Amino acid sequence: MLTYLLRRELLMIPTLLGITVLVFSVMAMSPGGISAQTLIGGMDMKPQEKQALLDYYNKRYGLDQPAPVQYLRWLNNVSPIGFVTDAQGQRGEFSFSKGMDLGTSFQYGRPVADILAERIPITLLLNLVTLPFTYIIAIMVGMKAATQRGSAFDVGAGVSMLALWSIPTMLAGVLLLGFFANIQHFQWFPTAGISSREAQDMPFLPHWDAGGFVRGFLLDRIWHLILPVICLSYGGFAALAKLTRTSILENLHADYARTARAKGLAENDVLWKHVFRNSLLPLITVSAGLLPSLLAGSLIVENIFSINGMGQLAVEAVKGRDRELVLSITWISGFLTLIGYLIADFCYTLADPRVSYD
Amino acid sequence: MQNQTTTRDWILYSLLSLSILLILLAMYQIDRQWLKLSEMQAALSEQAKDMRELRGAIASGAIAAKTSTNSAASGEVAQAFKRADAASRLPDYAQGDWSVDAFGTNLKTITPLVSADAYASSVQNYVLESLITRNPDTLEWEGLIAKNWTVSEDGLVISFRMREDVSFSDGQPLTADDVVFSFDFIMTDAIQAPRERAYLEKIKSVKANGKYEVVFTFKEPYFEALSLAGGIGIMPKHFYEPYLKEPQKFNESKGLLLGSGPYRLNDPKNWTPDKGNIELVRNERYWGDVQPSYHRILWKIIQNDSARLTTFRNGDIDSYSARPVEYQELKKDPQIQAQSQNFEYMPPVVGYSYIGWNQERGGKPTRFADKRVRQAMTYLTDVSRVIKDVFLDYAEPAVSPFSKASKQHDTALQPYQADLDKAKVLLKEAGYQDKNGDGVLEDKAGQPFEFKLTYFQANEDTKRMVLLLKDLYARAGVRMIPTPQEWPVMLENLDKKDFDAITLGWTSGIETDLYQIFHSSQAVSKGDNYVSYKNPALDKLIDDARRSVDEAKRMPLWQQAEHILYEDQPYTFLMRRKSLLFVDKRIHNLQMTKLGLNFGSLPLENYVPLAQQKYTQ
Repeated sequence: MLTYLLRRELLMIPTLLGITVLVFSVMAMSPGGISAQTLIGGMDMKPQEKQALLDYYNKRYGLDQPAPVQYLRWLNNVSPIGFVTDAQGQRGEFSFSKGMDLGTSFQYGRPVADILAERIPITLLLNLVTLPFTYIIAIMVGMKAATQRGSAFDVGAGVSMLALWSIPTMLAGVLLLGFFANIQHFQWFPTAGISSREAQDMPFLPHWDAGGFVRGFLLDRIWHLILPVICLSYGGFAALAKLTRTSILENLHADYARTARAKGLAENDVLWKHVFRNSLLPLITVSAGLLPSLLAGSLIVENIFSINGMGQLAVEAVKGRDRELVLSITWISGFLTLIGYLIADFCYTLADPRVSYD
Repeated sequence: MQNQTTTRDWILYSLLSLSILLILLAMYQIDRQWLKLSEMQAALSEQAKDMRELRGAIASGAIAAKTSTNSAASGEVAQAFKRADAASRLPDYAQGDWSVDAFGTNLKTITPLVSADAYASSVQNYVLESLITRNPDTLEWEGLIAKNWTVSEDGLVISFRMREDVSFSDGQPLTADDVVFSFDFIMTDAIQAPRERAYLEKIKSVKANGKYEVVFTFKEPYFEALSLAGGIGIMPKHFYEPYLKEPQKFNESKGLLLGSGPYRLNDPKNWTPDKGNIELVRNERYWGDVQPSYHRILWKIIQNDSARLTTFRNGDIDSYSARPVEYQELKKDPQIQAQSQNFEYMPPVVGYSYIGWNQERGGKPTRFADKRVRQAMTYLTDVSRVIKDVFLDYAEPAVSPFSKASKQHDTALQPYQADLDKAKVLLKEAGYQDKNGDGVLEDKAGQPFEFKLTYFQANEDTKRMVLLLKDLYARAGVRMIPTPQEWPVMLENLDKKDFDAITLGWTSGIETDLYQIFHSSQAVSKGDNYVSYKNPALDKLIDDARRSVDEAKRMPLWQQAEHILYEDQPYTFLMRRKSLLFVDKRIHNLQMTKLGLNFGSLPLENYVPLAQQKYTQ
């Protein structure tokens, strides 16, 4: 097992390098390209101003050099071992402990690491709330539908899951906002952001004081998260519930389940101790993709509810041809995808003792 | 058989995770208390400092002396504050409440100079002040921090005498040194302000003459010299000076903002974009003759259009700016009607949209190099129909780069009226005829008259306009191929001058400089004269106008230049679009001025009457 893990980890290096080369070339060849011109964006500038800005950016980001040189320089900065470079971009000696530098974002003019540090917790929060919610509902619904196959619940759940799965998030988000945050219908939830201005001055936990009930920071945050979490999760649990149902049904009719029943095991024990465990395998496969999505964020939901997460950041970066940011994001999510598959493979061995990689 | 997890295990696990969660939450809670405490400490120490100073001032008799001189001059309100003063005398005037608005994108930074977007500059407007400001009624410059100023005979030296009672929001007095510092700071190469530097390069030197007089010397006469010098946002020396030693820290900062304006950041060093909103509090030490009405100015970040509209409906933001179609719908909406007042107006600085005809491509003149062809295209472009069908009459036709309200504009000039026959005659003169009867004109070499019109793909209104124009041009036998493009791609093509015709917009100022867009010298690569329009007579007029400091001599020059543009039609000028704005009913004293609606203009003239106030803190 250990050698297997080691081999997989070593294989990651060329894969990640491949990803960066690909992304870098796509960025370099994309129409509009990476040039100081894109950084300036706005048109309302006197010619001297514009030229000055162009020169400044070209110098600061080394954009006037050929693309392969730019790539090698970026790679050297990102890799934990390599040549030390000084502020002027001059190459110094080779070092094994120079540390990683994700570079400076073109658009924001700030270190990429800082920007990621600001955005990641937001997306992480959103996804960590969504995930258990998605899984619990999916497993519960799938389980019930499978055990009561053909019942009204099964048919109803099947139809409604399919319906949910086919509603585009964009539409759902706008509808939810329109009905549940609008003064013309039910103004139950806030329209934007992940916390309200008043909450900044509130204590953390909800409580009663002289003025009545105070929702507190925690409850305010939860209140803000409800609509986005619904939006993020419904498509997921619809698909997962279907998957759970199929997988449990398959196992319920398997020979080992029949044997277990024949041994006189209670139906509940058969279900939970044998069938459920074996039905987890497809769910684990799906979950391999979860790790990267934890950080990648959802563009649509983040946009509709004005949440500044990673999804927003990624799209802004691509639109603005912000190479450093795009590279860092793809690089990190590539890394997480690989780690995700590794963890999923590892989980197989836990869920099913027959699986072994040696 | 291996061990199976039992119910008891499950309960144990859940209890364990619950207690971990609780510990985490408690840690978070204590952290918040800590932050709050340090905030209070900062406020307290600032108040203590004020008290000390006040005590010192009373002991030395400075305060007593000041009040007596003040009372002698009581009722004396500086010209810039006259309008705000009049507002504060209205019967239902009250201080208090917040101004709450929304930005459509997340702000990257609000540090002055480093920030580049309009949103950041509207935040800075409330915090940083400059020497002079424009009067919204007369459009003349008047003193803000400057009491008065003199301009030398040749227009090269401007000296401002400053008010002596101005202090920054941290209590430090504002002196001529701060103005000199602001200029030097911008001109420091390591500071990320290449844009401002390029602009201020016309200034040779800025020197303090005593504590409250500052002298700007220019390298050459320049018609915008006064606004250039007087418009620099004054940055406090004591606050920004340390960053000269660590410019990188300044360039990467998110919210380093301190000034003398009516509002201030609660913590001028530590604002970050991840807070999700921007909040300014009233500057309790504001020096102005009239104190601002709102307690706080708050901007929320709301990216989605329909979320923004819903938030406005719910009364959580104060204004909503609509597109024409939307505006017409919302005007009929009873819920919106009940809670808001709507405004449709033409700000004098509104930009114009145009179609630029590229006259040179790959070193060779194009068909649009012929003036008659450009005029014909203008005759074919039925602007009034575009305005009516696409913009629902919420726009007016543009004649030239100068707005109708500007003194630069000659009122005798009327927009070209659509005229199919005139266009056909002009095209025939230029050698275009339909020889093979396919409905498309051909030139002498037999090539069909077709061209690509490049436009920005994301704008729905532009897309509809281009499709309408396609039909209009087809009636004269001109085939237009709509070519939508992404923004960076379009910019690249502009740089390479790689397009047939393009539709875009330019913004205008109170006085618009033609140099950038129409001077021959700017037809170089990456210049803004990307249609390669060259006219020596126009060049001379532009140069002369820019050199004359005297307005009476300058305006006729601009008007002559306008006549040349009108005749040559390097662009087909399309229209200027109205601002369509809904504002919450509780905001009072909204008035139309020559600068547009006075919503949020400074010194602050809007307020919320006591009975309608919503926010108390």
